Amino acid sequence: MGLVESGKMPKPLTKLLNMSRRYSMWVYQWGLACCAIEMGAAFASPRYDVMRLGVIPLPASPRQADFLVVSGTVTDKMAPAVRRLWEQMPDPKYVISMGSCANCGGPYWDSYSVTKGVDQIIPVDVYVPGCPPSPAACREGIVLLQERIMNEDMAERWKGDPIVVE
Amino acid sequence: MAEIPDHLLKRAQAAREKAQANQEPKVSPNEGVTAQTTSVVDDESLVQEIDEKAENILHQIQSGLNEKLISSHVAPNRGLWIRVSSKDWRETAQFLKDQLDCQFFDWLSVIDWMPSPYGRELDTEQDIEPETVNPEEQPIEWGYTGGQTRFQLICRVYSITLGIGIMVKADLDDQNPRALSLIPIYPGANWHEREAREMFGVTFDEHPDLRNIYLPGDFEGHPLRKDYPLLSRRMKPWPGVVDVEVMPGEEK
Repeated sequence: MGLVESGKMPKPLTKLLNMSRRYSMWVYQWGLACCAIEMGAAFASPRYDVMRLGVIPLPASPRQADFLVVSGTVTDKMAPAVRRLWEQMPDPKYVISMGSCANCGGPYWDSYSVTKGVDQIIPVDVYVPGCPPSPAACREGIVLLQERIMNEDMAERWKGDPIVVE
Repeated sequence: MAEIPDHLLKRAQAAREKAQANQEPKVSPNEGVTAQTTSVVDDESLVQEIDEKAENILHQIQSGLNEKLISSHVAPNRGLWIRVSSKDWRETAQFLKDQLDCQFFDWLSVIDWMPSPYGRELDTEQDIEPETVNPEEQPIEWGYTGGQTRFQLICRVYSITLGIGIMVKADLDDQNPRALSLIPIYPGANWHEREAREMFGVTFDEHPDLRNIYLPGDFEGHPLRKDYPLLSRRMKPWPGVVDVEVMPGEEK
């Protein structure tokens, strides 16, 4: 779409595109520890039925995903893999950090092997607090992310420099 | 070593008294009591039997290893501890597998008996600077079968046919801890030895592939040694202590 690159998107069109992006999100799941159980309940159980929000769980690869949920303890050994698969996701991409460990290290804040927050390796859009967060909290994080996508200026995002975390 | 608090001593004393009271035979002659006493006798004979098994096996180990066996310990119903020299580490495992049919290799690890030089406990807000505490001054206390050095290699093997687990311990050199790998006898020891190497810095000779298994390849130091510093605690106090909330009805 040449319109997006030109930076002259009409507002109604932006809104339309944002709405369609908002309600069709493939989620790539990084279950790294006990938070993955809650994430499984949120994404894979009929009780919470995340598909009514337009979230489609279980893509075959990160190359098909729109946003990433990192749930659990990121260790220094796992960090390069998280970074690498995040790089394989197509833009525009979003990240939800779920649980205390992924947010800041959590109970392992003084550990020798745990990364103190996944935001040290990839940019995070929504932090879901809790140890572990309930599936409802995870869902709340998705709703917040959807609001963020809805209010986004696509052309602005397109023009901006690529996000680089060092 | 910290002193045992008073309330724990009292509780242990009460438990001993209760156990003694239970063991005393009851005087009143009625039918229920005879059944009860026989059941008590049954229990005791059961305990005796399992003890005998462990003692028998210990006797076999003693006659098989001779002077290689440094010390031993029998815990009734819980198995058998033996301690050998690290030079005899592999021969001991070979003996246990061949002669006592210990086919099942349970696990292998290392114990660092040195008390933490930082005074690190659960409630410690901040690590004490290592200059203020001299680790040499604090006495080391060893567990079952005693010991002489800071590091002890420990491994548990189980004999399914005899139904007994045997803990094997070996003292390691403080400066250059090393022992022969157990892989020729128990191939499953491979990953255990890799973990013991990266966490405690113990070298296993004749190990085919002694890379890190859990830590990143360029990790420096051996994090499960007691003198390994947790640098985050140097930077800031433990938040758990700071965040203690006042309970309703309590005054600060």
